[in-house]
Amino acid sequence: MATTSVGSIDFPQRKAARLRFQDRRRLFLIALAVPAVVYVVLIALWPLAQGIWYSFFDYNLLRGGGRRTFVGLANYAELWTDSTARRALINTFVFTFAAVALEFVFGLCLALLLWREGRFNRICLAFLLIPVTITPVVVGLIFRALLAVDYGFFGYYLAEWGISGPRGFLASTSSALPVVILIDVWEWTPLVALILLAGLKSLPGDILEAASADGATALQRFRLVVLPLLLPTVFLALVLRVMDAFRVFDIIFVTTGGGPGDATNSLMVYGVKQGLQFFNIGFASAIGNVAILCIAVLCAAFTLLIRRADVRANET
Amino acid sequence: MKARTRQIAIERTTLVVILALYMIPVLWLVSTAYKPPREIFSSPPSFTFSPTLFNFERIFQLFDVWQLLKSSIVMSLGTTVLSLLLGVPAGYALARSKSRYAIVVAYFFLAIRTVPIIATLIPFYLMMRDIGLLGTWWAVILINTTLNCAFVTWMMFSYFRALPRDMEEAALTDGCTLWGAFYRVALPTVVPGIIASALFCIMFSWNDFLTPMFLTNSDTKPLSVALLASFGTKDITWGTLGALAHFSTVPIVLMALFLNRYFVQGLTKGVH
Amino acid sequence: MSTASLLKLGVAGLVYVSIAGAALAADKPLAGITLNLASQNDQFAPVIAKLAPKFEEETGATVKVDILDYGSLLTKTQADFIGHTKNYDLVTMDIVWAGQYADNKYTVDLTDWIKRDADEMKLDDIYPSTIKYIGQYDGKQVAFPFAGYAAVLAYRKDLLDAAGLKVPETAEEFVETAIKLTDPDKKQYGFVANGQKGPAVAQDWLQYNAQLGGSVLDASGKPAINSEANVNSLKVYKELFDKAAPPGAVDYDWGGREESFRQGLVAMMETWSVGAPGYYDPSMSKIVDSVAITTTPVAKGLPVKYGLGGWGMGINADIDPAQQEAAWKFIKWLTSPEIQKEFNMEGAGSYIRKSTLADPDLNKKFPYLPVIAKSFENADGDYRPRIPQYPEIQDLLGTAVNAVLVGGVEPKAALDEVQEKAVKLF
Repeated sequence: MATTSVGSIDFPQRKAARLRFQDRRRLFLIALAVPAVVYVVLIALWPLAQGIWYSFFDYNLLRGGGRRTFVGLANYAELWTDSTARRALINTFVFTFAAVALEFVFGLCLALLLWREGRFNRICLAFLLIPVTITPVVVGLIFRALLAVDYGFFGYYLAEWGISGPRGFLASTSSALPVVILIDVWEWTPLVALILLAGLKSLPGDILEAASADGATALQRFRLVVLPLLLPTVFLALVLRVMDAFRVFDIIFVTTGGGPGDATNSLMVYGVKQGLQFFNIGFASAIGNVAILCIAVLCAAFTLLIRRADVRANET
Repeated sequence: MKARTRQIAIERTTLVVILALYMIPVLWLVSTAYKPPREIFSSPPSFTFSPTLFNFERIFQLFDVWQLLKSSIVMSLGTTVLSLLLGVPAGYALARSKSRYAIVVAYFFLAIRTVPIIATLIPFYLMMRDIGLLGTWWAVILINTTLNCAFVTWMMFSYFRALPRDMEEAALTDGCTLWGAFYRVALPTVVPGIIASALFCIMFSWNDFLTPMFLTNSDTKPLSVALLASFGTKDITWGTLGALAHFSTVPIVLMALFLNRYFVQGLTKGVH
Repeated sequence: MSTASLLKLGVAGLVYVSIAGAALAADKPLAGITLNLASQNDQFAPVIAKLAPKFEEETGATVKVDILDYGSLLTKTQADFIGHTKNYDLVTMDIVWAGQYADNKYTVDLTDWIKRDADEMKLDDIYPSTIKYIGQYDGKQVAFPFAGYAAVLAYRKDLLDAAGLKVPETAEEFVETAIKLTDPDKKQYGFVANGQKGPAVAQDWLQYNAQLGGSVLDASGKPAINSEANVNSLKVYKELFDKAAPPGAVDYDWGGREESFRQGLVAMMETWSVGAPGYYDPSMSKIVDSVAITTTPVAKGLPVKYGLGGWGMGINADIDPAQQEAAWKFIKWLTSPEIQKEFNMEGAGSYIRKSTLADPDLNKKFPYLPVIAKSFENADGDYRPRIPQYPEIQDLLGTAVNAVLVGGVEPKAALDEVQEKAVKLF
C-alpha cells in the first residue's frame, strides 16, 4: 500500500530518496519501540531470568543462612510428587477452564441482552461495571461473609433450607471449589460481556440486515453470521481471562485460604505461601515458571483454535 | 410489533434480575459500614439496624486514610502514565513495521503480562533495595509498569493495525514529518483505545495488593494493602472493612461510570 | 506601667522562654529520631498508636506505627530482615517466632540491656514466664514481652446454671459438658474453636492437644506428630466439632470464634485473654451480664499448666546503635508500670506486670484479671513449639487438621502425612 502513494513513475534519484525515506522510517519505528522493549527487558526479564536460575536450586532464605544447593529439576519434580502441589496444579486447571467457560457463556448472553441500543441498557451497563472495579480482595471477603453459615445473609438460609450442607458451601470439600469459581464468575462476567458487547456493536450493520432479509432464524443468524465475525473479540476476552484466571490468588486467599483441606488450593496461593511466607525461593520459582508455561500453552492453543475456526468460517 | 414489545419486556426483566444479583452484595458491603459492631452478625441475620459512624471513626484511628488514598492515586496514575508513554509508541511501531518479527514481539509483550508475581517479586525486591527505591511509590510503579506497558503495547498494536494507513501516507506525501504522522494523524484517531487501555491500567494497579504489600512501607502503602490489615485477627472487623472499602471502591467506580462510554467505544475499535 | 518596664518584661519573658526551650531540648534526648514500628493488628495496636504521641512529648522521638494483618506482618518483617532494608526499627514478634528470630539473628539480643536496666524497669514486677517464653530462645532474648496473653476458659453462667452443670475443671469434663450443653434446635452450642485452614485451626488444636496430653515434639526435640496421644486428641477435637460446635465453626478463625461467643451462640470457649474486654463491651457483645472467665481445664493426672501466648517487641539488628538505643527506650517506656496501666485502661488486653494485674482500677473494669495472674504463674508457652521450623509445621497442621474436621480424612492418616513432611524440615 505504502508504495503506491508516492507516484507511478520512478526516476532513479527518486528511488534512492524513497529508499532513504524507508530507512528513516524504519529507524523512526525502532526508536518508538525501543524504550518499551528495553524497559521490559530490564525490569521484567532480569528478575524472570533469576527466577529460572533459582528454580534449579534448593534455596531457602530463612534457613541455612540462605545457602544455595544445586538440585537440578527436583523442584519441578516436586510439583507432581508432592500431593499438595499436585492438587494445586489440578485445581488451577479446573478453576481456569470452568471459570472462563462460564464467564464466556454468561458474558455472551449478557452482551446479547445489552446489544439493543437504548437508555435503559446503557444504565444497566454502567451498573454492571461496578463489580469489575471492586478490589478482588473485597469481593472475596463480601462473599465469605454472605456465605457464612451462622450469620451470612445467604449462607444461613441456604443451610436452613437444606440447600447447602449444614456447614455451608465453603466448608465442604466437594462444593468449595465450585463456589469459589462462581465468585470469580460473578466478578468477571461483566467484563467479558463488555468486551463482547464492544465486538457486537462494531459488527457491520448491512451484513446483519442481509441475513435477516434472507429469512434466517435468530439462532442461524447468530451461529452463521454473528459468531464468525465476533471471533477476534472472543479471542481477546478468552485470552485476557485465561491469563488472569490461571493466576487466581486474591479471591481464594480471602475466602478459603485454599481450604478446606487442599480443596481450593491454587498454584498461586501455594506459590505465594512458599515464596513470600516461607521464602522457599527455589520451589516458589519453579511454581512461577510452570504457571508461565501453562498460560503460554493455553493461549497458544486458543490462538490455533480461533484461527482454525476463522478459516472454516471464511470457507463457508 | 407486539411481539417485539414483549421481547423487550422479557429482556429488561432478565437484566433487572441480573442487576439485583450484582447489587445485593455491593449494598451489603456498603450498609455494613454503618452498622454497629454487635449488629453486623446476628444469627439468624437481621435486616434492620440503627446506623452509626463508629466504623468510620475507627478507620481514621487505625489508618491515615488520606495518605492511603494519596498513595493509591499516585501509584495507579504513575503506572498508567508511564505505561502509556512507553506502550502507545511501541504499539504503533509494531503495527506499522513491515518486519515479520513484529507480530512475534507483540505476542512477547502479551506473554509478559502473564508472568506471575511470585516469579519476579523477590529478585525485584532485592534490586529495589540496591538502587534505594524500596519502600517508595517508585518501586511499585516500576514493577507494575512492566506488566501494564506490555499490555498497553499489545492493545495499541491491535488498534493501530486496524487503522487504515492511507491518512498517514497522505500526510507524509504532503510533507508531514514521521513524528507528525504518528502524533498528529494516527494518535488522535485512537483516543478511545488509549482511554480503554488507561482504564485497564488504573484498575489493575488500584486493585493490586500483593506487590505494594511487599514493596511499600507505612508511609507509602495504598488502600488495597490497608484493606486486608483492617481485617484483624482477633476480631471480625467487617464494619471497618466496609468503611474502608468506601474509599477504595468509590473513586474507581465513579471513574468507570464516567468513562464507561469510552471503554466500550475503545474496545469496539480495538478488536477489528 | 511605663513602656520601658513593659519592654523589660517582654525581654525577661523572651529570656525565660528561651531558657525553658533549652531545658526542654535537654529533656528530649531523642529529638529528631523516628522509630518505625511494625505492629500486628491486635487490640493493642490502636492503643500503641494512640499513646505514641505521649512518648514523643516525653523524649522527642516520633513513633510511626504501621498496623498490619498477621500474614503481611510476617512477610514484611522477614523481607526486611533478609534484605537488610531497615524499613522497621521495632517489630512486634509473635511468641512462636522466637526460634526463627534467634536462629537468623534478626533482632538485637537484649540480655545485657535487661541486666543493665533491671532496676529501672522494675524487672521483678514482670512475670518471669512472659520474659522466658516471649522472646527467650537459645540463651538469647530476641524480643521483650509487652503483651502477654493467657489461655482462659470463657463461659456463660446462665447456660451452665440452667443445665445444672458446673464449670469443667478437667479436659475430660470439658468435652462432656460441651456436648451436654449443645442443642442445635435452640441454636445453642457447647463449644467453639477455630476450624479454619491455616494458623487458626493449627493453633487452637495445639492448645487442646496439650490439655489432652499430646505433644508435637518428642523428648529429643524431633517431630512426633503422629504419636498416639496426638491422634487421640485430634479424634476428640473432631468429636467436639461434630457434636458441640456451631456448624460454621470449621470455617472460623479467631474473629469468627469470638463473634459467635459474643453473639451468644456458644456456652464455652477456650480463648486468649486479650479478647475478654470485648465480652463486657455492650457495643459489641450480647452476653455482657452472663459471661464469666476462669482458667482452662487440664487433663487428669497431668501437671497444672496454662497456655501462654502473646507478643514481644524486638529491635531490628541492622539499624545503627543510636537508633537501637532509642528503640530500647521505647520498649522500656511501653513496658513501664504507668504506661502498662494506661495501655490496659484503654482496652489493650495485654499484660506482663504483677502490679498491672493487681491494680484496683483495672480490676474494677475487668473482673477476670486474677484468672490471668493465676495462669501466668503456671504458664506453659511451649505447647506450640517455638522452634525455627514452627511456621512450616503450623502450616502443615493447619491443612491436615482442617481436612479431618470437614471429614473425609482419618486423623491417623492426616497426622502420618504431616509427620512425613515435617521430618524433612529437621
